[in-house]
Amino acid sequence: MELETGALSAARENEIRAFLAERGLTMEGGADYCAVLRDDAGRLAACGCLDGSVIKYVAVSPAAEGEGAAATIVSELVNHAYREGKAHLFLFTKPGSEDMFRSLGFHPVARTGDAVMLEDRRDGIDRFIASLPKAEGIKGACVVNCDPFTLGHRYLIETAAKACDFLYVFVVSEDAAHFPAKDRYELVKRGTADLANIAVVQSEDYLVSRATFPAYFIKDRVRAEDVRTEMDIAVFAGRIAPGVGVTRRYVGTEPYCPVTRAYNEKMRELLPAYGIEFIEIPRKDGISASAVRRFLKEGRLGEIETLVPPTTYAYLKNLA
Amino acid sequence: MQIVTKGVAGTMESSDISVRIEPREGEGITLTLTSAVMQQFGKQIEAVIRGTLASLGVTSAVVDAVDKGALDCTVEARVKTAAYRAAKCEAYVWENRK
Repeated sequence: MELETGALSAARENEIRAFLAERGLTMEGGADYCAVLRDDAGRLAACGCLDGSVIKYVAVSPAAEGEGAAATIVSELVNHAYREGKAHLFLFTKPGSEDMFRSLGFHPVARTGDAVMLEDRRDGIDRFIASLPKAEGIKGACVVNCDPFTLGHRYLIETAAKACDFLYVFVVSEDAAHFPAKDRYELVKRGTADLANIAVVQSEDYLVSRATFPAYFIKDRVRAEDVRTEMDIAVFAGRIAPGVGVTRRYVGTEPYCPVTRAYNEKMRELLPAYGIEFIEIPRKDGISASAVRRFLKEGRLGEIETLVPPTTYAYLKNLA
Repeated sequence: MQIVTKGVAGTMESSDISVRIEPREGEGITLTLTSAVMQQFGKQIEAVIRGTLASLGVTSAVVDAVDKGALDCTVEARVKTAAYRAAKCEAYVWENRK
């Protein structure tokens, strides 16, 4: 069998899509790099892709099973990722495949009924938890994107911080947002510097956004979105929250975005079972990060000034 | 030899071993070994990995190895390669026997 690697060209994408479909798997979105094995007749025998720091679309034909095809594919993807300087890799799969990926050097982070999240280092999440500041008393958490940080976010954080002894503010580290993760994190830090009982931390890759968690292996496509949400909640509520003793999760009410609203409803349903209280804080009218982005695009800095703290305004003014 | 970045060598295919070496804060070697033949050869593989690192003068590193039944000479070669890469060192001393 022949190993072939490279970018996910249109031809390869079609081939992989069909190969996955034959196995009841669904291609959802592209990838940066792929590795395929072909049999002597040139047909696909196995495939796998790398998308950012996530390994996905790993599939093997029945004829190639048990011959180490998956090991060849995963080795190639992992080595390529390290050569590219990626330090931390993730993989999501169905529970039945956990052992296979464990034998390839992956370690479980969290599980739900439908899926397992694995990472390429043992105790990775434990080390992340150990790196978080420790606090006493009633601890709360909110997970924010802050794209960019507005007075609405400030209100949410301030209100939550007043209601508990210590508040963890996790800023999602994924770079799929409009502003880079590092900048978003910095703006939250600067805009809340006066609040003594909070810690602003980068979520690293653990609070995975719906965008990065591939659910291609979920056969019931209607369930796929739920599975993503449940995994995200399992990581937060099953690992991070007990690791630092967080018993409250704060969110802002979501009047606009149906996806976020569904996500919040899922948390309301699932968090109590983890011993975590779900608390919604009414959102400040008329302030949204998307409005700020729109004004920025249109050059209406005056309007932005009323929606964001001075620290964010200074940053945006520099960009304009 | 100072480990300064992530270095990797080898594969997870049969008879090979994939070795990943990263910097560690503080002294000591933290080793995670996953092996298809853990019961029979786990201790031996670990000894070869630690011995090879010692011979290179690596005293601080996080090492993650996934073994698929590699021979000792393969383990040694993969560890050396990964360590040189992780140390960004190209002054290879391949003949330096333990």
